[in-house]
Amino acid sequence: MSVNTSLRSAPTRRESPTTPPQPTPTPTPKRNLARRREAIAGILFVLPTLVIFGLFKFLPIFGAGAMSLTEYSLNGDVEFLGADNYARLARDPNFWQSLRVTLLYVVIFVPFIIAVSLAGAVLLDKLVRFTGTFRALLFIPYLSSFVMAGIIWTWIFSTDGPLNAALGALGLGPVPFTSGSQWLVLASLALVSVWKGFGYSMLIFLAGLKAQPAEVHEAARIDGAGAWKSFLYVTLPLLKPVVFFVLVIETIIGFQVFDTIYVMTGGGPARASHSLIYFLFDEGFKFFDFGYASAVGVVLFVIVLILSLVQQRFFEGKDSK
Amino acid sequence: MTAVAPAPVVRRNGMEKRRQRTLTIVLAVISLFTVAPLIAVVVLALSPENAPTLPYAIPKELTFENIIRVLNVGEFPLWLWNSFIYSAVSVVIVLLTASMAAYAFARKRFPGRNALLWAIIATLMVPVQATLIPTFIMISRMGGVDTLWGLILPTLANAQAIFLIHQFIRDMPEELFDAARIDGAGEWRTFWQIVLPLIRPVLATLAIFVFLWHWNDLLWPLVVGQSDAAKTLTVGLATLNTETASTSSVMAATLISFIPCLVIFALLQKHIVASITHSGVKG
Repeated sequence: MSVNTSLRSAPTRRESPTTPPQPTPTPTPKRNLARRREAIAGILFVLPTLVIFGLFKFLPIFGAGAMSLTEYSLNGDVEFLGADNYARLARDPNFWQSLRVTLLYVVIFVPFIIAVSLAGAVLLDKLVRFTGTFRALLFIPYLSSFVMAGIIWTWIFSTDGPLNAALGALGLGPVPFTSGSQWLVLASLALVSVWKGFGYSMLIFLAGLKAQPAEVHEAARIDGAGAWKSFLYVTLPLLKPVVFFVLVIETIIGFQVFDTIYVMTGGGPARASHSLIYFLFDEGFKFFDFGYASAVGVVLFVIVLILSLVQQRFFEGKDSK
Repeated sequence: MTAVAPAPVVRRNGMEKRRQRTLTIVLAVISLFTVAPLIAVVVLALSPENAPTLPYAIPKELTFENIIRVLNVGEFPLWLWNSFIYSAVSVVIVLLTASMAAYAFARKRFPGRNALLWAIIATLMVPVQATLIPTFIMISRMGGVDTLWGLILPTLANAQAIFLIHQFIRDMPEELFDAARIDGAGEWRTFWQIVLPLIRPVLATLAIFVFLWHWNDLLWPLVVGQSDAAKTLTVGLATLNTETASTSSVMAATLISFIPCLVIFALLQKHIVASITHSGVKG
């Protein structure tokens, strides 16, 4: 209704709206009218999204930056601090510990998940029969939640659990998967995330492999390249953009690790798995230090941003050679 | 090439057969890695409550008593309901608002269109955890803590959905929309009767993923649903796991939480696979 009213009052149009449209020598007013009508329709269609994004995306993004510069208390008192929260982060050994934990985790998790998903994809790609069945079997854990994955693997990893029972049968002592050294705990957590998530990357790799021209591989075979050489010198270089894509995605996922830690180790033992998001969660919802926690969020954002830019630059540089 | 081909082909067939067998065995072993933990969940969930669950013993009998008990005990039905509402309502609203916006971005010219689309897509670069605190403060000020609407509202801003639908609509032929215009269809009718039916494939895909993301989400529900009123299943499961509930109960609850995901997968497997391989929906 409002659309029509505003169109009627358009100053360029003099004739009554009931007049049938006539071919006019100067089409400008009519085109303007159509343009305006299109613009109004467009804005109306975007409006719900605009409201939702304005309130729940754009506002919080600026809010995070603004809050990180304040002391923001539970009762709503706000005190401007400037860069104090960031200075405090720089001095906080627990923050550096969490950053180190997260980096270590990413260093273990990313190569691990890339290797497993790439291997799965290459094998599936070569398989002739039962492809769909195996694809489904490998993908299924992706449907679960990290909470569910954490619960299952806590049971599998427990001191008297099935994995340790199997290792015991081989004469290996009980392995403290979620309570041992930092590397072991982080590797155990990474294993859970790989189990849960590799099916997704595997499907992306699989699509990349299917898109490769068969002639190239045929040519490599005629030239006498074995399976391994053909993979290393033909398949992998052709797959590079896909590997890059998956690498970025999985690195970003790695930096956001939280759910499995929350369920499996609670950040322990002795902060050995106290990741960046866990630190943010603690500062925000255990100590209600909202300004400080926001600063951690901003740091996470900057890390993720820099990482994607650096990786992009790195790969572009290699391509141009 | 045809002259050289016959001899190697014969040799390759024998080799190929052996290679296929090896491949199948290797894949079966990897499948064991993915499926065995899930089978364990099923078996543990169906084991009698007092049966030993560690290290592992095959139970003498299987029973549904855990499932039935868990479904009737305490807050569990409420958590299940909350998860369902959180996922289902979000799917409907996200799909509707994102389709409308994507249609406008792809087909309508209006001032600020490109800047706005760019700004929305750019939010994909911001991890949700980075905006967790201000979002929580805002919802808390609005009185949304421990409510379902407080849980749902902030997750409706889904840039991925807009991006994907936009790609889809952008690639449609312009003649389609010309025809609708000539037939005198209004904007809303064009959207409702032409655009929506045509983008059904991408909507189905997104419905699956938005459902899974919400159903499996932890951090936001953990922060907003502090009391049982708005606790989702994932939050409840995490609490259950740290309490003194028996392994059978925890696994029964876990199994129940997984069933909707399995059903969706079983029904729409081809869709899920195709969508990941084609567009790489971020998970």
